[in-house]
Amino acid sequence: MKSVYIHVPFCESKCPYCAFSSAVKKTADEETYLKALEAEIAARSPLARGNAISTLYIGGGTPTALSPSAWLGLISIIKGAFRLAPDAEVTAEANPSTLSPRHVGLWRGFVNRVSIGVQSFNDAELAFLGRVHDTRQAEEAALLCADAGFKTSFDLMFGLPGQTLRGWGENLRRAAELSPDHISAYQLTIEPGTLFADLPLSGALTDGYGHYRFAQWFLPRKGYGQYEVASFSKPGEESRHNLNYWADGEYLGLGPSAWSHIGASRSKNAPDLAEYARMMASGKSASVYEENLARAPNARQAAVLALRTKNGIVWRSFKERHGKTLKDEIEEKLARFPKSLVINDGTAVRLTPAGFRVANKIWEEII
Amino acid sequence: MKYLDHATKNDNLKKIRNFSIIAHVDHGKSTLADRLIESTHTVEGRNMKSQLLDMLELERERGITIKLVPVRMNYEATDGQKYILNLIDTPGHVDFNYEVSRSLAACEGAVLIVDAAQGVEAQTVANAYLATEQNLDLIPVLNKIDLPSASPERAMREIEEVIGLDASGAILASAKDGTGIGEILERIVSDIRPPDGSTDAPLRALIFDSVYDNYKGVISYVRVVDGEIAPKKAISFMATGETYEVEEVGVFTPSMSPVAALGPGEVGYIVAGIKSLADASVGDTITDPRRPARSPLPGYRRVKPVVFCGYYPIEREEINSLRDALEKLQINDSAITFEPESSAALGFGFRCGFLGLLHMEIAKERLFREFGVELVATTPNVVYQLKLTDGTVTEARRPSDFPSDAAKLEEVLEPYIRVTIFLPDDYVGPTMQLSQEKRGAYVSMDYIAQGRVRLVYDLPLAEFIMDFHDRLKSATRGYASLDYEHTGYRPSDLVKVDILIQEAPVDAFSFICHRDAAYGRGHSVATKLKELIPRQLFEVPIQAAIGKKVIVRTNVKALRKDVLAKCYGGDITRKRKLLEKQKEGKKRMKQVGRVSIPQEAFMAFMDVSGDEGK
Repeated sequence: MKSVYIHVPFCESKCPYCAFSSAVKKTADEETYLKALEAEIAARSPLARGNAISTLYIGGGTPTALSPSAWLGLISIIKGAFRLAPDAEVTAEANPSTLSPRHVGLWRGFVNRVSIGVQSFNDAELAFLGRVHDTRQAEEAALLCADAGFKTSFDLMFGLPGQTLRGWGENLRRAAELSPDHISAYQLTIEPGTLFADLPLSGALTDGYGHYRFAQWFLPRKGYGQYEVASFSKPGEESRHNLNYWADGEYLGLGPSAWSHIGASRSKNAPDLAEYARMMASGKSASVYEENLARAPNARQAAVLALRTKNGIVWRSFKERHGKTLKDEIEEKLARFPKSLVINDGTAVRLTPAGFRVANKIWEEII
Repeated sequence: MKYLDHATKNDNLKKIRNFSIIAHVDHGKSTLADRLIESTHTVEGRNMKSQLLDMLELERERGITIKLVPVRMNYEATDGQKYILNLIDTPGHVDFNYEVSRSLAACEGAVLIVDAAQGVEAQTVANAYLATEQNLDLIPVLNKIDLPSASPERAMREIEEVIGLDASGAILASAKDGTGIGEILERIVSDIRPPDGSTDAPLRALIFDSVYDNYKGVISYVRVVDGEIAPKKAISFMATGETYEVEEVGVFTPSMSPVAALGPGEVGYIVAGIKSLADASVGDTITDPRRPARSPLPGYRRVKPVVFCGYYPIEREEINSLRDALEKLQINDSAITFEPESSAALGFGFRCGFLGLLHMEIAKERLFREFGVELVATTPNVVYQLKLTDGTVTEARRPSDFPSDAAKLEEVLEPYIRVTIFLPDDYVGPTMQLSQEKRGAYVSMDYIAQGRVRLVYDLPLAEFIMDFHDRLKSATRGYASLDYEHTGYRPSDLVKVDILIQEAPVDAFSFICHRDAAYGRGHSVATKLKELIPRQLFEVPIQAAIGKKVIVRTNVKALRKDVLAKCYGGDITRKRKLLEKQKEGKKRMKQVGRVSIPQEAFMAFMDVSGDEGK
């Protein structure tokens, strides 16, 4: 186990499209959170079994909603419990409105990659998304991180109501001008339990096909290769932390609502901060859900995850891990798709860019 | 039990009355039956469900009677004598006319109900004539006289003029408020003759219905004519010669109540460990193997199915469950026929024959409700006669029976019916228009009473089964009633239209229609399929063609993209579950080549013609 995820459950305000676990912070909460997190780390860090941690991802929520003093505490807890590899990828998520020079200062020497929740370079779109930042702040945040020597990644969203292809093209163009190392482009989806879910929005959403296809065409021309369904990067700047997810790798998830994957088990912590803190205080595990997939569903899930990436399923390692029968089953099912969507060269099978566009339908066949 | 047994002696025959109630749909038959049961205290008031005789769940929902249900009532008449009245219920819908004749064969008389406000309707005539054909004693009853719109004089005149029955003794009744119920019971005793028959003659009993029970096997409903049936005695079936030992006999109160024996004139049921319908078919005569009757009772005119369609299980592996279910349903509904067939698109299934569209729909519902079998039904069609250029004549029960080379076809004949429609004269215009549109040929029109018209048309049965009834209802606001009889085959300019999906014909969707209607129907089928077939990973052309000639073409556009969400550590399990759920939904589709066609497409196909008309 070489990957660790830490969830920070605070935001300045709740975004209407976001289904992640977070709450608007009160000062007292930070203390509760840090105390409980420290207890969980103390209890579970031995799972790293002395391995050097190669990727650490601090996400949320909004990690930059955590005050600088809380950050100091967080960093010291992590450093005290885990041994980070010298070349470890340490990512923090940041919101342009709360990222401050003080955060950047504290991060130096610890964080080396910042994922900025830009979402859009259009103020009207940002207002629709309920974001508290504006375009100017996004640009400043990007420059601040770049100046500090961090690798940067932008999150961008398409398929917003009324968003034209030109409008989306403008967003991508301005993103590319700022030259981040990595871009995640994903479609606005209406998740149950979000504010948007209660609005009559679905009719207004564009189907996003053109937007997605445009990104697949435009970003590589600007030097960003597509290495996963929703991920583009400059050469060598792929998110190693996320690649581990898609490789069906192990990871330790800490904090409220965080998922872990250790051995055959996938488990989830209590999503509510108070509940999480209570469970940690009573010395129990914070896990509220756990599943251990049987051999076949586990192999099929691993295949779906692998097909998210441009590397696809590498047959030799897949066979070693899941056996010949399941390898054959999946290979046979994927053979039904035309070469324009799925390419199997005998060493590996992968989706083409056109295959990425209809990936859900392909995964449905093999799950 | 003793009281129930008193009729098994010859001298008690004259205390039995076996009768049916016949009526047009909605003229109040079930309500009247309920009143009779109530006033004879056969069922206590608190156990009384409205319309007790409509036992099938489906019948209750639809407010119609499909299966005949017998009930035995004890009645003390004003002459001080105790009588046994066996009521054998009959269905009202034209599709189920054969059930009516079966019920009537077990009776000596019938109560003919006419709605005093509506007057004589098409099925009043048909049922009254069926009863007359069976030589039954008829008691006319004018029901619903409590309604302000009731016009008993007009209804009586119609009974005399339209049916030709003497209506002078008609009883004025209201099943709703109980008026006339006492008189009806008295007249059943006085006007309907008692059965004749002898305990000493060799056993002869008519099977007029059968149901299947999971514990008891086949339960046969019988009317004993001569002799006696009792447990432990041997019986044999005259059609097959098979012999069984009787396990139980009983009567309907209306639930099944065992008795010691069933004698002449009695109506009841027998259980004899019979596992297969073939051994106890409806219409057969039961006799005593040691002292067999010389000749069987007249059976029934074997009803021939007129409408055919294919039934296919949604999951291919369920073919055996579907066969089992059909076999059991057939025990209960002998008018259904089925034979195995296979379809390139749908796999293995059965070509099933029915008496009409309602019958077909009901059968499908019952298969689902009673046997849990979900199926796809292909579009219904009639039986065509094909004359080929080489001089041979064949039957076509399905579009695929047509020769693929249209040049080999000399002539196509299709079955015609003569439809008699009773309606208020305000609606003659739209009704004639509908009949013309359905390729009908006008036969006659006459006034049966002030403002009431009888309209007769010759109509291709195929047009009739499609949606004629529904469209007639909307054209006449429900005021029309109809009846029909088969009048044989006539030549027509018919063509087979194939529906091709991705260049391959899908046999479930092909249909036969008149050449002039081919484009219109082809277009509406293709359009409907386009709506129902979800986008696939590639473009799917849908075509309608006559032979090699494509007459309609449309496309299901290729799926372009559905939402591709991001997927990080916390999304993996949820994503898997979502995909599994989508896959589950997909299982309910039929794979035709590389195209997935949802079950609804097959279901909805039956509505295609309806869409045109609305």
